[in-house]
Amino acid sequence: MGFFTPWFLAGIAAVGLPVWLHLLRKHKSQPMPFGSLMFWEHHTQSSIKHRRLRYLLLFALRTALFVLIALAFAHPYIERKSLPFQHTGEITVLAIDNSLSMRAGNLFDQAKQMAKSEISGMRAGDRAQVLAFGARVHALSEVTDDKQQLNAAVDAAELSDDRTSFAELSRSLRATAQSLKLPLRVELYSDMQQTGMPANFNDLRLNAAIRLEPHPLASKEVPNFAVENVIAPRRVYDGKKQRVLATVASYGEAKATRRVSLILNDRVVETKPVDVPEGGRATVEFQSLEVPYGRNKGALKIDSADALPADDTFYFSVERSDPRPALFVYEAGNQAALLYFKTALEASGQSAFDVQSALAEQTANVNPAKYAFIVISDVGALPGGFESQLREYVQGGGSVLVALGHHAMAQMKVPVSDDRIAESRYTGREGDRFQTAAWLDSSYPSIQKDNNWSGVKFYRVFRVDPGNSRVVARLSDETPLLMDRQIGSGHVEVFASTFDDLDNNFPEHASFVPFVEQTARYLGRLDAGPPAVQVGSFEELRDSKEKGSSVDVMDPKGGRVFDLRDAATAQNVQFTMVGFYDIRRPNGRNELVAVNSDRRESDLTPAPMDDIKLWENTANGTSGGESGSTSEQKPVSLWWYVMLAALALALAESMLGNKHLSVDKEAA
Amino acid sequence: MLQRFLDPATLASIDGLDLVAKTVVDGFVAGLHRSPDFGFSQEFAEYRAYNQGDDLRHVDWNVFARTEKCYLKRYRGETNSQLLVLLDTSSSMAYKSHAVSKLDYARFVAASLVYMGSHQRDAAGLLVFDQDVVNYIQPSTRQGQLFRMLHAIEGAEAGTGVRTDFVKPFFHFQNFQHRRGIVVVLSDFYEQPEVIVKTIEPLRYRGNEVILFHVLDPQEIKPKFRDPVLLVDLENEASQLEVSPEYARNEYKRRIDAHISGLESKARSAGLDYFLMNTARPLDEGLREYLAIRRRLL
Repeated sequence: MGFFTPWFLAGIAAVGLPVWLHLLRKHKSQPMPFGSLMFWEHHTQSSIKHRRLRYLLLFALRTALFVLIALAFAHPYIERKSLPFQHTGEITVLAIDNSLSMRAGNLFDQAKQMAKSEISGMRAGDRAQVLAFGARVHALSEVTDDKQQLNAAVDAAELSDDRTSFAELSRSLRATAQSLKLPLRVELYSDMQQTGMPANFNDLRLNAAIRLEPHPLASKEVPNFAVENVIAPRRVYDGKKQRVLATVASYGEAKATRRVSLILNDRVVETKPVDVPEGGRATVEFQSLEVPYGRNKGALKIDSADALPADDTFYFSVERSDPRPALFVYEAGNQAALLYFKTALEASGQSAFDVQSALAEQTANVNPAKYAFIVISDVGALPGGFESQLREYVQGGGSVLVALGHHAMAQMKVPVSDDRIAESRYTGREGDRFQTAAWLDSSYPSIQKDNNWSGVKFYRVFRVDPGNSRVVARLSDETPLLMDRQIGSGHVEVFASTFDDLDNNFPEHASFVPFVEQTARYLGRLDAGPPAVQVGSFEELRDSKEKGSSVDVMDPKGGRVFDLRDAATAQNVQFTMVGFYDIRRPNGRNELVAVNSDRRESDLTPAPMDDIKLWENTANGTSGGESGSTSEQKPVSLWWYVMLAALALALAESMLGNKHLSVDKEAA
Repeated sequence: MLQRFLDPATLASIDGLDLVAKTVVDGFVAGLHRSPDFGFSQEFAEYRAYNQGDDLRHVDWNVFARTEKCYLKRYRGETNSQLLVLLDTSSSMAYKSHAVSKLDYARFVAASLVYMGSHQRDAAGLLVFDQDVVNYIQPSTRQGQLFRMLHAIEGAEAGTGVRTDFVKPFFHFQNFQHRRGIVVVLSDFYEQPEVIVKTIEPLRYRGNEVILFHVLDPQEIKPKFRDPVLLVDLENEASQLEVSPEYARNEYKRRIDAHISGLESKARSAGLDYFLMNTARPLDEGLREYLAIRRRLL
């Protein structure tokens, strides 16, 4: 027994009051003359004793009352183990593991056979349900006593490319037991992969209504090779040979040499042998990937000839396209900025953008829509038509980078965003020789890669009223240096100085190249992404502008993932199969997504029997001392019982006390 | 309203027994006349139609003048009675749980009785006793008898450590008693009922009307103690007992009730009148009892 508020137990000291009243305080018999003692007798002493006994009863009642009140305030509780359920109306749950690892050998067929034999052994009236689980749990049948239906559900179970998650199974079983309010007997058919166990064992916890009976299908570790990972470019913009790096892993296999083949669009490009150490990993590099235009299906394959061939191939997609144009607008006579910006972009190895330049006065007939992003470098007045087109471009999702200089200062406003330029700060005139960037928001994409601008000296900056803009960099005098303002779906990024080496030395600093590269990526919405994703991951299909438009998603088998209605409304798609998903968006942004299985499935090492036993015990709850910390120990409050007892005592005390008082009243 | 003059606590505040007796009796008699239930009158009895040979002295000429019919006015025979009051002054009579002790109450009653008796020209006498005869005033109608008796009553004090003994004083009294009358015994009768009745019974044989006024304090009739008490016997101070309220409420009450009812039943079966006087109650109840008995005697 414990107490929620044990300090209230100090109230038991109040017991001293009845102790003093009844035991310590002396009762003195006052001598009283009386007419005659003719009718009094000596045995009246026993009556006094009896009376004292009654007083003792009153004392006991009062003492117990004080103790109980103190106890009630201390809020006692007891730890009570949840009693095991009476297994009446028990439902048998046949949980079949259909994760990728069950493809090894004929494990899945074994599991289905065992489930069927369990169904055939069911007595009339016994009810059961068939589940298939990997990373998620699928109910293949309802809770029924129809053996035919249950057998059909077992037959309908198919292997998936999911990874095993026993935690997800436990969560689902807990929810099922809670909703059905009936005990469950779970027959678990699985290879009991160790990698399927969660990091936190508590996630496996089952409640007392569930009885788990695991049937491990694999008792020993099965050797296996797998292509664990591939590093390849997602997009390429030129015809150069690309580098591909593959990692081959061995699980429980002795040292072996494997042949690794690079395959592009079902054509073997190159094959290399690789020595894989025992239980280790080896890396193999290919420099021969020439990517043709368009979306290409790449794969790395090993000739493992092991029990699990499903993980011998690693898929990746690579897309080749032409660089996208970017427009650099500048004032005549200020070509330094163009030079620095273009050189920095080329130096970054970023060939995704082709920077085209134009003088401000030449932009009247330029259509911004065809550019990935536009840089306006210290421009005074833009042609009216171009500026209005720029605004529409930004509203529609385009992005503009604005660098401010003395030309922009003449207009007293930032182009496109129309933010007011408050003043020009030239440090040389005010005693300070230069200013530095004092604060940088390293979460901002332009700064994310390199946020060390400590050596950059700013001689002249233009103070802009930030308004609704997000300030991501400030100078030492709190002047906003870099601001980002969202207008419609697009962005306007304002740099409060120039890109030449007159107002600052930023172009000469090492941070300039990553800044330009990241800014170009951000403004040009260049999202390379990984060349491959895992089974179970999601891909966003549409943004807010594309609401209502149809998105076509083809799975690796060539089937459509969505029906017509879902194709128009689905916000994202989950990849459930290994292979290539072809996503065709209405704006022409088509994508080929390579999906691979979670390579944790490649490790076929079964979980230790101790762990499985422990998991069983969390289900059985009260099976002896082994249940230990996982047994259902619930604190049951005794407050009500104590209060009821106190109330009963108070009533008894009142009645007994009243009896004594009535004597007193009569005597009075 | 007059009842308040008969309240023992009120009477206790009056100095002088003669005044107490006068207050009680005058108030009581005045109350009697007002009472429709109690049509007793000592003088006039009834009217009766005149018959030949009746003494003309008894004709009510006033009635004749109004009605021209002769009616005789009949008077109750004027017979002098003898009243003897026996007052117990044993130590137990000194007990009191409120303003009036049993002895005070008994004295008020005795004074009232002798006052009433002397006004009715009864020969009133007094015997004060405890375990012996303390004082005796022979019944008489002589001048000053009332004041002698009141003086004797006033002087009656409860003895210390003196028990009630009926045998000796009653034997002594029987030697003096020559004429039948009313004998009023005022005592708390702390003795076995058989002994009391057996001792007093002979008075009845001589034609006396004997009234036992059993004077008890309310605390003696129904004791109410808050705490255990150490009771000290007034008649024997060496005797002490610690008693509990429970015992007092139950066992003692049962015993004193049995004693009272036993005394009453035995007294009545022996032809004695018995009246329990609670010292917390007004005196008139006792006086009524006396007058009822006196009328029966006459």
